[in-house]
Order: sequence, then structure tokens, then C-alpha cells
Amino acid sequence: MTARPHLYALGAIVVLGLLAAFGVRDAVVLDLVFTLLLYAVLGQSWNWISGYAGNISFGHAIFFGCGAYASALCVTHGLTPWLAIPAGALAAAALALVTGFPTLGLRGHYFSIATIAVAALVETFARTTPWLGKANGFELPIASGWAALQFPQKGPYVVLALALFAAVQLATIALERSRLGYYLRALRANHAAAASVGIDERRCKLIAFAWSATMASAAGVLYAQYTLFIDPPSTLALAISIDIALIGVVGGIGTLWGPAAGALVYVVLAKAVALRFGGAGKGYDLVIYGAIICLIAALRPYGIVGTIVDAIRRRRGSIAVGPGAAAETPA
Amino acid sequence: MDTFAQLLVGGLLTGLVFALVAVGLTLVYGVMDVVNFAHGEFLMLSMYAALGLALIGIGPLLGLPLVAIALFLFGIVVYRVFIRRLLAGPSEATVFGTFGLLVLLQGAAQATLTSDFQSVPNPPLQGTIHLGPIALSQATLVEGIGALVLTASLFAFVEYTETGRAMRALAEDRVAATLMGIDVQRVNGLAFGIGAACVGAAGSLLMLSYPVYPTAGAPFALTAFVVVALGGFGSIQGALVGALLVGLLEVFGGFYLAPELKMVPVYVAYLAVVLLRPQGLLGRR
Repeated sequence: MTARPHLYALGAIVVLGLLAAFGVRDAVVLDLVFTLLLYAVLGQSWNWISGYAGNISFGHAIFFGCGAYASALCVTHGLTPWLAIPAGALAAAALALVTGFPTLGLRGHYFSIATIAVAALVETFARTTPWLGKANGFELPIASGWAALQFPQKGPYVVLALALFAAVQLATIALERSRLGYYLRALRANHAAAASVGIDERRCKLIAFAWSATMASAAGVLYAQYTLFIDPPSTLALAISIDIALIGVVGGIGTLWGPAAGALVYVVLAKAVALRFGGAGKGYDLVIYGAIICLIAALRPYGIVGTIVDAIRRRRGSIAVGPGAAAETPA
Repeated sequence: MDTFAQLLVGGLLTGLVFALVAVGLTLVYGVMDVVNFAHGEFLMLSMYAALGLALIGIGPLLGLPLVAIALFLFGIVVYRVFIRRLLAGPSEATVFGTFGLLVLLQGAAQATLTSDFQSVPNPPLQGTIHLGPIALSQATLVEGIGALVLTASLFAFVEYTETGRAMRALAEDRVAATLMGIDVQRVNGLAFGIGAACVGAAGSLLMLSYPVYPTAGAPFALTAFVVVALGGFGSIQGALVGALLVGLLEVFGGFYLAPELKMVPVYVAYLAVVLLRPQGLLGRR
């Protein structure tokens, strides 16, 4: 399929986002738009490894945390936070390599278990290491301007988040049309057959995972510059990994617009839960998120976008088994 | 030397409890190819169940069969209502579906039972036994021996009963087993129920010496994943060997490194085994 409709849709979102960034004064609305874009990026990052490559990550928060901590470290050591973008990406990619190299050539659960284990180690490490702020985390000193990547208004943050979102969506469009994208699709369809024509499963998935980690890290840099406060619960904890997985699952694994749709659902849902039950920490949010993940897994494993794509294909009368049609592996 | 012996025995006893948690996981994996990421939350539920019974006067040891039966029925219901549907979908769905169950159960426990640590009031077996230079709490000893007996019974069940044979047949070759007239849904449901009953028993034993809270099961589950990977997914003997190794790694790691780093050698062992011998120490490819 041609990429043109997707590019038009992305263009429309960018225009709308710029209008919001420069036209809207309401800080609450801008905060919502920023959060939405940030979560869409995190969801797409998760989708690269868990959707396109088909290896479910339960520890994605640590890659986000790499960016956030890199940013905090740069700023508190008098360096520009722009440096945190490559530094965080390197750290995230290194963690991805440690998690992925032993496990990405094997059945999926080996990888998923490793993501939980490595995430637990990284969180413990951050909580106990003095130069990482231990459990207290970091408060970033206040500054202003593009060099310091801090702004008194929320508009520029929305522009940055929009740029990141657009870059990530463009990269995903490119992935879908690239050799790597076809390899990953072939591996999901039948990894034995794919391996037999010479596709190196571990190598392909490691590349996807490294890019996935890099994207999440970039989101982390932006997050740290936006909130100016980070600690393990807000950047590394399992709760964050659950949010990211929820977004990816709800929107639809392995679909281009799934993460954006999932982020929209998540932002609305989180606000509703906070209004009704008074914020997280009491377990009600987890009950709702868990129930949604269970329902999607049992009834619509390809999420919102997968269901829509499926319906469109059915109407057109082509063979329709969902966007993962090719992913149905005969056991 | 005395410290070493003390740690050795402590590690082995801890490992036996890990084994009982892990055999449930490995049985379910062997039979239906599902890694139940909510396994630890089943453990947490059974710990709360044992606590509830203790509060009405039925202690953890007396309550053990009741909790195991309750978890068996719970496991069968979860299989019938949920897991069966996951098996019809893509393989990713069984991974994130059982993870959804983990999130749901943790949240439900937090919402209804609060995040407080709760222990059995006036638990039995508070004394210490001295074996030469080694001092052991009675509770730890009973936990370890109880877990060993139950793990051995499960092994005997799988090895020597008709249902156990059906489970092994499914693990070996699903299609052939179906052609031989094995009712896959029934055996799957039973296996899932028995896997849950194992953590039911383990949860009751653990209430002798551990407090329960909504995330109490998570560390045990993570340990059980490592145990099962070390021993080989689907292998019960492997789970026992893996569990003893992990018990030793954790106890020695906690002593020689620092208590908060006790899991580091365990996870490093996981990555190393998966890298060098992905089928596990006793597993088949």
C-alpha cells in the first residue's frame, strides 16, 4: 500500500499541533497535548519491538528512564541537555543489547522475562547509586531558552513533542516499507521459514529493539526537561512500563497508528480514573488497565486499529484476518 | 565454615519453596505453551486466602489443602474463561494477556485489601532447631520439607497417572495427542488448575514466615521464571534443580554482596544460561 494517505494524516496532525502550540493559551490543554504526543512516541517505541518484531517488552520504562536520567545528569553537571539525546540513546541501546542479545533469537517468553529482570535491576541500581540520586532522584535547575531546552511557556514543548512524534511516525512508515520491516514480518509469519531463506532473526530484532530504545530515550529527555523533576517511580517503575504496554496493546500491535490511538485512549482514561478515584496508588487504575489488556488479548488481539483495518478489508471483500494476518503462525 | 554450612542449608531450603512455585509454571508451559505471567499473583491470592483462614482460626498448615483446592478451581475457571481464548489468538496475546491478568489482580488486591503488609497472627513453629553449628527456624524447615514433598507428589502424578501421561503426551506432540483421543481442553484446564494448586500450597507454606501484600507474589514469580529457564521450560526435575541453584545464588548473593543486590547473580545467571544453553540445564530443545 502506498504511504501517501499516512503522510497526509501526519501532515494534518502536525498542522493541528502547531496551531495548538501557537494559538492555545490554556496551559491545561497544552499539557494534555504534550502528554498525548509523548505517550504516542513511547507507544510507538514499544510497538517496534513488541508489535513489528513480536517480542513483548514489560520493562520499557527503563529506556524512557535512560533519557530522563541522561538529561538530569547533563543539566546538573552544567552540560547542555541536547547532549542527553545521544548519551541517553547510547545507554538505552546498550541496555537493549544486554537484554536482547541472549534472548531475541529464542521463543518470545525468554525475551519478556529478561525485560522484567533487567528493568528490576536497573531500578534497584538507580535507587541505590549516589550519582544517580538514589531514591530522591533529581530536581533540574531552572533555566530558559533553546540551548537549555527549557521554556517558561508550554508552547515550545508541544512543538518539540510534535517534532519527535512526526520523526517517529516517519521512521515507522519507512520501517513498514523497508527490507528490515519485511524481514520482521516474515519472521512473525513463520520464523523457521524466514530463517531458512537466510534472515538472521537475532540481528533483525536487535536493530528494531535498539531503535525502539532510542525513541523511548528521546521521549525521556523531553519529559525531564518538561517536568524538571525525575525519580525512579516517575521514570523507571513497573507502573510506567504497564502504561506503555497498555498504550501499545489498546491501539493495536504492529499497526502504524495504533500507538497514537492507544495514547488518546490512555490519556482520557487516566484523567477519568483520576477524577473518579482520586489518582493512582489505590489500585483502581490498575484494575481498569489490567481488565482492558485482558479483554483486548482475549477478544481483539490487534487492538483498535487492527479491528478497524480488519473491518475495512472485510468490506472490500479481500481476505481478512486482521493486520497480523501474516503473523498467524501455524503451530 | 559454619557460616558456609548455614548459608548452604538456608539456600537449599529456600530453593525448595521456589521449586514448588516453579513446577506449577513449568507444568502449564509444558502442556499448553503458555508462560503465565500472572503466576506470582496467583501466589499472592493464595497467601491472602491462607491469611483469611488463619484469621478464622484455621492455621496455614491446616488450611493448606483448602487453599490448594480453592486455587485449583480458580485455575480451571481462569483457563475456561480466559486462557482458552488467548490460545486461539496470536502468540503475543498469551504473553500480554497473562500480563494483563497480573495487573488486574495486583490492582484488585490493592483496592480491596490495601497495600499494608499483613502476617498470620501468632504463627505456629516459631522455635529454632540446632543441627550442630546450623541454626534453622522451624518455619523454614517445614516450608522446605513441605515444598519438597509436594513437588515430588506432582512429579509422581505426572509420571505415573493416566492424566499425567496425557499431559506429557500433549507436551510432546499436540497433534498426535489429539489424534490419540486426548481431550485437549480438559487436560489443559486440569494442568492450569494443578499449576494454580501448586502455588496455593506454596502460598500457605509461605504464610508461616512471610507477610503478604499486593505485590508479594511478584518477586517469587520472577524467581520462578529464572528457575524454569535454568532447569529447562517444561521439565519438572529441571525446575527442582534450577530452584536449588537459584536458592543458593540468592542466599549467597545476599550474604556476600548486599541484601538489596541479592537478585543480581540470579538475573545474571538467567542471561548467561539463556545465552549459552537456551534449552536449560535439563531441558530438551
